Amino acid sequence: MKDFGPARLAEEVLARGLCINCGACVSLCPYFRSHRGRIAMMFPCERESGRCHAYCPKTEVDLEAASRFVHGTGYPGHGIGQYREIAASRAAAPNEDSPVQSGGTVTALIAGMLEAGAIDAAVLTGRDGILPVPAIITDPAGVRFCGGSKYAASPTLSALNRAITEGYSKIALVGTPCQILAATQMRIRLTEQGHPDPVALTVGLFCTWALDYRKMEKILAARTDINSIISMDIPPPPAAVMEVRGIRDSHRIPLEEIRGAIPESCGYCADMTAEFADISVGALEGSPGKNSMVIRTIRGADSAASMIQKGRLLTEPYPEGSLRALAEASSGKRTRALSRADAAGMLNNTGESGSYLRLNAGTLAGILAR
Amino acid sequence: MSVLTNGKSGEEYLVMGNDAIARGALEAGVSVAAGYPGTPSSEIIENLARIAPDAGLYVEWSVNEKVALEVAAAASFAGLRSICTMKQNGVNVASDFLLHLGISGTRGGMVIVPCDDPGALSSINEGESRHFARLLEIPLIEPGDFQEALEMTRWAFDLSEELRMPVMMRSVTRLSHASGNVRFGPLPGAARSARFEYDGPFLDPLTGPMVTMPVPVRHKNQQEKIRKAEAIFETSPFNTYEGPEQPEVLIITCSACSLYSREAVKELGLGERAGILKLGTTWPLPKKLLKSRLAAAEKILFVEEVLPFLEENVMAAAAGFMGETGLKRFYGKADGTIPESGELNPDIVIAALAKITGTQYEPVAHEYARTAQEIASKHATVRDLTFCPGCPHRASFWIIHNVLELDNRKGFVCGDIGCYTLGLLPCGFGTLKTSHSMGSGTGLASGFGQLRRFGMEQPVLTVSGDSTFFHAVIPAMVNAAHHGSDIILALLDNAGTAMTGFQSHPGMPVNAQGEGAVPLDISEICRSLGAAVETSDPFDLEGTERKFLALLERGKGTRVMVLKQPCALSPERKGKKLYEVRVDPAKCLGDDCGCGRICTRVFRCPALVWDRDAGRARVDEVLCAGCGVCSSVCTNGAILREEAAQK
Repeated sequence: MKDFGPARLAEEVLARGLCINCGACVSLCPYFRSHRGRIAMMFPCERESGRCHAYCPKTEVDLEAASRFVHGTGYPGHGIGQYREIAASRAAAPNEDSPVQSGGTVTALIAGMLEAGAIDAAVLTGRDGILPVPAIITDPAGVRFCGGSKYAASPTLSALNRAITEGYSKIALVGTPCQILAATQMRIRLTEQGHPDPVALTVGLFCTWALDYRKMEKILAARTDINSIISMDIPPPPAAVMEVRGIRDSHRIPLEEIRGAIPESCGYCADMTAEFADISVGALEGSPGKNSMVIRTIRGADSAASMIQKGRLLTEPYPEGSLRALAEASSGKRTRALSRADAAGMLNNTGESGSYLRLNAGTLAGILAR
Repeated sequence: MSVLTNGKSGEEYLVMGNDAIARGALEAGVSVAAGYPGTPSSEIIENLARIAPDAGLYVEWSVNEKVALEVAAAASFAGLRSICTMKQNGVNVASDFLLHLGISGTRGGMVIVPCDDPGALSSINEGESRHFARLLEIPLIEPGDFQEALEMTRWAFDLSEELRMPVMMRSVTRLSHASGNVRFGPLPGAARSARFEYDGPFLDPLTGPMVTMPVPVRHKNQQEKIRKAEAIFETSPFNTYEGPEQPEVLIITCSACSLYSREAVKELGLGERAGILKLGTTWPLPKKLLKSRLAAAEKILFVEEVLPFLEENVMAAAAGFMGETGLKRFYGKADGTIPESGELNPDIVIAALAKITGTQYEPVAHEYARTAQEIASKHATVRDLTFCPGCPHRASFWIIHNVLELDNRKGFVCGDIGCYTLGLLPCGFGTLKTSHSMGSGTGLASGFGQLRRFGMEQPVLTVSGDSTFFHAVIPAMVNAAHHGSDIILALLDNAGTAMTGFQSHPGMPVNAQGEGAVPLDISEICRSLGAAVETSDPFDLEGTERKFLALLERGKGTRVMVLKQPCALSPERKGKKLYEVRVDPAKCLGDDCGCGRICTRVFRCPALVWDRDAGRARVDEVLCAGCGVCSSVCTNGAILREEAAQK
C-alpha cells in the first residue's frame, strides 16, 4: 500500500465529510486536533506521507491486510466476521455506580486485566458532561468511570497514540469498529517497521452508528441541562427512542430526531460488530443485563477465559436465534454501506484515484449481491 | 534639550522635515498642538510635546483626528495659534469638522498639516489630502524642500490670521522623513493669552459666536476669503520659476516632486530647454502667474504624485485663458506620461522629460540592468513583512487562528489598523479577512453579526489595538452592543500606540507631554456596554485558547477578549528577555519529526532559524526577544526556556 500525506487526508476525508473523529490522526503531530467532536487540521502540512493517512479508517483501508494481521486469513465479508466463539456474558459483580451498558462485560474485563497486570494501561472513553473524552486508565478502580455508551463519536485513538508515546507496551483498547480498524492499521505499520505491537488486547463495541457530538448536544440541550445527564441508552426495537436519564429529569427522544445527527461517514461503515477486534461486545437483544461477547482471536479467548476463571465474568451459551439476528443485522449494514460506497466509486480503485476500502473483488461481489 | 528651542536664529541645522515644520510653528508663536499619531506625521507632535512644558505650549495626542482638529480650533477661537497634524487618511476622519470650520472661520492662526504617503510606504491606502482643501474651500500650500517646510509653516499662521480661516499645509513622506539643512529664524517673545469672545455682533468674525449659520452669508464670505488667498498667492515667494524665459517644456510641479524635476533637468542637461514652475500655493491657484508662464511654453509637463490635482486644476484654469495663451500640449497623468499611483522618483521624471524632448537617456546599460535584475531575483533572500521577534501579536494570532480552526465553522476575523494589520499575511497565519480604516473591523463585525437571520452561521471576530479602540472602535462597539451583534472583539492591548512609536493614548496614565493623565479602562468601558469581557496573556497559548474557546462557544452577543502583553519594542520590554530560549539538539528531531518544521515554517518567528547543516531548528540568540512562546509551539518539547535573569 502506498503511503500518502496529510494534504491527501484532508482532501479525501475531511473535505468530503467522511471523518468520524476517531482520533487516529491526533497526538501524532501539531497539525490534527480534535475539538468537540470534530477533527481540525490546524495548518497545511507539507509531508508527503504520514501516520495520519496510514492510520485513518476512512481512506485507503486494506480490509484483506487488516484481516490477515488479526485473524491470519482474508476478509470473510459475511455474518459477524471471523470468530472463535460467542457467548452471553455479564460482570459477576456489577458496579452500582457505573452507568454500564447491558451486562457490564467490558468494564469487568478491563478492570480485571489491569488488576491482574495482563495489561499496563487501558485506552478508554470517559465523559465530560456528555462530551466523550479519551482516557488512559492504569488504575483498575478508574475503569468504571468510563462505562456506558457515549453515543457521540470520540477521538479515543488520540489517547492510544499518547499511551504509545508514553511508553506503555501492553495496552488494552476499547473502541468502536472504526477505532478498532484504525488501531489495526497502526499495529500493522508499527510491526512492519520493526516495533513491537504495543496493543495487547482490542475490545470492539457493536455499533450501528454514532452521533455527531455537536448535533447531539444541540438536540439534548434543547431539552435539558446537558451537564446534569447521568446516562443515555437506546433500548432495542421496537422502542425507537433514546432514553436520557438526568439528575433532575429524564427524557425519551424519538430516534427519528436523533437520526439527523448521524454523520455522513457512518453510512459508509461496513462493520457493525468490530470484526478486527480480539473480543467484540454488544447488547444482547431481548436480555437486558446481558451482553453478546464474540471471541475472535486466541489472545481474546485467553483474556476472556482468564477473567472467567478469576470470577470476574459470567458466561452462558449464546441463544441460537440471537446469533442469526445478529449476523443478519451485521450483513445488512455491510451490504448497505458497501453498495453505497461502490455507487460512489469509492472501492478498489486503481491508478491515482484513491479508495476508501480495498477488498477481494470476489468477496465484494458476494456482499453486493446479497 | 532640543534643537527646536535651542537652535539659534540665522544658524543652519540638519533636521528632519517634520522638525522643520515644528520649528516653523514655534517661530510663529504656536501655543497649542494636537494630532493623532500616523506615519509620516508623528514626529511633529512628538517633538513639540517633548519641549512643551519648557516652551509654554499645550500639546496632546488626541483620541482621533477629528477631536485633534477640534482641540486645535478651540485654541484658535480663543485667539491662540494652533497646529493640528495627522496622516493623509486622518483628514477623512477630521473632514466633517473641517467642512464646518471652513465656513465658521478661525481667529488665531490655525494650520492643519496632513502628511501624505505616496506609495503607501507606511499606509494601507494612497489617500490624497489635497482634494479636501478644494472640496472644503480652504487654502492649500505645499513646501518643496526642508527650508520651505519651516518658512511656509511660519507663514501659514500669518496667512490663516489674515484670512481668518484654517490653512492646510500638506507634506509627504519624502519631506517629513528626510533631512536637510534648515536655517532657523527667531523665536517670538511673550505668549498670547486665551479668551473666547462670543457676545459681539452675530456675524463679527472676531467677537461673535463661532457658527456656520446663516450658511449662505458665511459660505459666500468663505469664498471671498479664497479669492483673497488667490490674490496673495500671485506674489508668493514660495512659487518659483527657474529656467529659460521661453522654455520648450514647462514643468509644473510641487512638493518633493520639485526636487525630482530639478534633478531630471540637470541629469538630461536640459537647463536651456526646460523650465520648472514650482508652486508652493496649490489651492487656490495663482491664475495670473500661471497664465504668464503658460503663455511662454507650448509643452506642459505636470509632475506630481498620485492623483492629477495640479494637472486638472491648471488645465481647467488654462481653458479660461487659452484664447490669450494659445493652444498647449499637456503631458501628465491624463496621457499616461506620469503614473497615477505610487511614488515618483527622478528616473520617472527623467523618462517623461526624455520622451517629450526626444532626448536619449539610458541610466544604465540595458544588458547590465537585465543581468542585475536576474541576479537579484535569484540570489536576494526573500524577506517577509513580519512581526518582530517577541511580538505579542504573533502569539495572539496563533491563538485566534487555532480557536477558529478548532471551532471548525469557517469563522473569520475582520481586521483593523495597527501592526496587527499584518495578521492577514503568513506571519499572522492569514487570520484577517478584511482590512479597511480605523475602527472598521468592529463596524464590519457589527454588520456581519446581524446576518444569522440570513443563514450565516460563521462565527464573527474582529481585532483592535488599544489605541485604535479609543480612536474609532468605541462607536462601532456601541452599535454592536446596542443591536446585539453576535461578535467577539479581540482587543490586542500592547500598552501604547506601538506602530507609530509608543505615543500615549487615553488608556495610559500619561499624556503626550509625559505628565500624569487619567487612564481609561478598556475592559470597564466594554463591560459598561453589556459585553462579556475576558482577559488573558497571549503568551499563555494553552490557557488563552481555552478561555477564547469558552467565550466563543458558550457566550452570546457582543463579547470581548482582552489579550494583554506589552509590545516587544516598548520601553518597558525592549532588551529585557522573559526567558532564555534554546533548542535541545537531542529532542529536536528535525525532518524526522512529524512536525513538518512547524516552528520555522508555520510559527515563523524571525529568531527561529532552520539550521540546514544540522538538519534541525535553532534559536538566534541575537534576534530572540525571550518571549518563550515558541516553547509552547514545539509539540516535541525541544524548545527549552528558562527564566532570564532580570537586569
